[in-house]
Amino acid sequence: MTDLFTPAAAWQRLPDRYVTVRRLGALAYNLIAAVIVVLTVGFLVDWRWGGALAVAGLAWTGWRVYRAGRWVRTFGYAEREADLLITHGLWNKRLTAIPYGRMLSVNVESGPIDRAWGLARVELVTASVQSAGHVPGLQQAHAAALRDRLIAAGEAQALPL
Amino acid sequence: MTADPGPAGYPPPDVVPADGPLPSATKLTERPHPLTPFIRGWVVLLALVISIGREFLPNGEGPRQLPPVEIILLGVAVLALGAAVAGYVSWRFTRFVIDADVLRVDTGAIFRRSVRVAFDKVQSIDVVQPFAARLFGLAELQIDVGSHERSKLRYLSLGRAYALRDYLLTRARGYQAEEATTTRSVSVLTDLHETDEVLVQVAPQTLLLAAVTSHEFWLIVLSGVLFVGVGLAIGQWWVLLAAGIPTISGLFGFVSRRVTGQFNYTLSRREHGLRIARGLTSLTSQSLPARRIQAAQLSQSPIWRLLGFYRIDIEVIGWGAVTDNEDTSGVSTILLPAGTWAQVQVALAAIWPRADFTTVQLSPAPQRARWLHPFSGPFLRWGHDQYLVVAQHGWLVRRWQLVPHARVQSVRITQGPVSRRLGLADLEFHTAGMHIAAHASGVDAEVVLERQAELMALLHHHSPDLSESGSAIGAPDSDNSGMAGGQAGPDALRADQAEATISSTE
Repeated sequence: MTDLFTPAAAWQRLPDRYVTVRRLGALAYNLIAAVIVVLTVGFLVDWRWGGALAVAGLAWTGWRVYRAGRWVRTFGYAEREADLLITHGLWNKRLTAIPYGRMLSVNVESGPIDRAWGLARVELVTASVQSAGHVPGLQQAHAAALRDRLIAAGEAQALPL
Repeated sequence: MTADPGPAGYPPPDVVPADGPLPSATKLTERPHPLTPFIRGWVVLLALVISIGREFLPNGEGPRQLPPVEIILLGVAVLALGAAVAGYVSWRFTRFVIDADVLRVDTGAIFRRSVRVAFDKVQSIDVVQPFAARLFGLAELQIDVGSHERSKLRYLSLGRAYALRDYLLTRARGYQAEEATTTRSVSVLTDLHETDEVLVQVAPQTLLLAAVTSHEFWLIVLSGVLFVGVGLAIGQWWVLLAAGIPTISGLFGFVSRRVTGQFNYTLSRREHGLRIARGLTSLTSQSLPARRIQAAQLSQSPIWRLLGFYRIDIEVIGWGAVTDNEDTSGVSTILLPAGTWAQVQVALAAIWPRADFTTVQLSPAPQRARWLHPFSGPFLRWGHDQYLVVAQHGWLVRRWQLVPHARVQSVRITQGPVSRRLGLADLEFHTAGMHIAAHASGVDAEVVLERQAELMALLHHHSPDLSESGSAIGAPDSDNSGMAGGQAGPDALRADQAEATISSTE
């Protein structure tokens, strides 16, 4: 295995409790989606199809819950001198590099499940919608600190649009 | 009135001419041309006639029940009159001021709206002449300030529109210019005068040839043939008519759009920027802000390979989607509708004078990439130099995507399970535009690993902007020592910085 997705840098990982949050999130969103689909199909088409979909939905939810721990352990971010690196993914691995100079703004968000565990998610916004510079599941204090560091670096190294 | 702009206070008392036509007015305001409401009514009338006339054409569904002719005529007359009245009201309440201090456009009868624009924020100015306006020698001026909404002044006399355009473009570059009030001798077909340097011109014959050999043309033909073939196979002769007529009219429309929309296509350079003029029935002359171009894409249809034709689309911030309707009046993102390799090079050198993509070393995708990209595999290539990333794709239609490092917002390496087995990776280059998604597929993972650090470093390297030919904004700081390779010498660099401090634009 090459280190294509983790070049030499000070990599930081997500806190362990984010695994729980991600499991709960997967459970909640998948179950809600599955219930809606199953009920719709059941009423409109046939309950046998609905039952099959329910099994599939449960299996998918179980799979996501099972994989959540490994997914979180693949996630890493590194603040380098001039850019932020983000890597994640089990099957589809990806590594994104975003120069601080391209930063337009930095968002910190936390949903209800995040808040219950004292976590927050940081997003580095650039002029491109594809950049997707998200770092989920940081402790709230760390998230705020990361935001401030990103803003400071972005202001110091601003690049023209 | 080239007096230095006073403090933001409005109105400056010394600007009002004592013998001005509006002594009580605070500022010399202008109105669009008085023929405007008439032309706007005419445009609606024309559109109605065309759309209703279309109903009378056979379309394979048999005659349709239509109301009596008197009612149709009455309806058309009412609508056209309504458009004219609306046009009159909008004309009555549209005023604009363009002078040494202010660029301001007031519009709206019920909801008044006053837009005031800083001169140095003007990104591009387009002069558009729809057919009806063209008959009367009028034109529409569109001012792009980089936001989504453009300020439109319709309609002005053509000479006035060009004069204002030239003045605003000069001011946009930070020069305090004399307001151009004289009208230059302007040809009816083009927007050129002696000092312009014509870079690329595409003849109508070339457009016609390129249109009938393009893959879009053959797709329409193919779908028509398919329909007819299926119809004949099941013994339904009427399909011949039902599919044949729309196909033929579709082909005719496609070719005429391509030819009339880009008729007399001319890319030229005047002292303060590039400009594209085109069109047969409606003439558009748009200025091209090179610094706002995010990416370019060359494409080549299968038959064009034999003819040596290429097309260039560009993506510009604030211009919205990449144009696919050639006939559109207004801005289009087509940098070259169809041209030879030499013209491609000239056009690209015009927007990015520092970069030369033909010298970029491209590395082909490895043999094993054919498993994932069976058709395009042999054509896949990618590479970069200090200014540009170049990626090739495509099987039938070949594409070359060019993205300057200076416009890349972020770069991503991805690898799916199959790619991992094959030792391949994909690269994505994200720009502020969304329509030319630059990516390199099937790249050797070892090569990516090797060049990773270099690619990421190039994103934030402060090299001189590639859209400037050495006469404007220089390096913002001194960390370009490692990249001095093909750049202007130290003298030119000093000149850059001097210029940057004098004209405090951008």
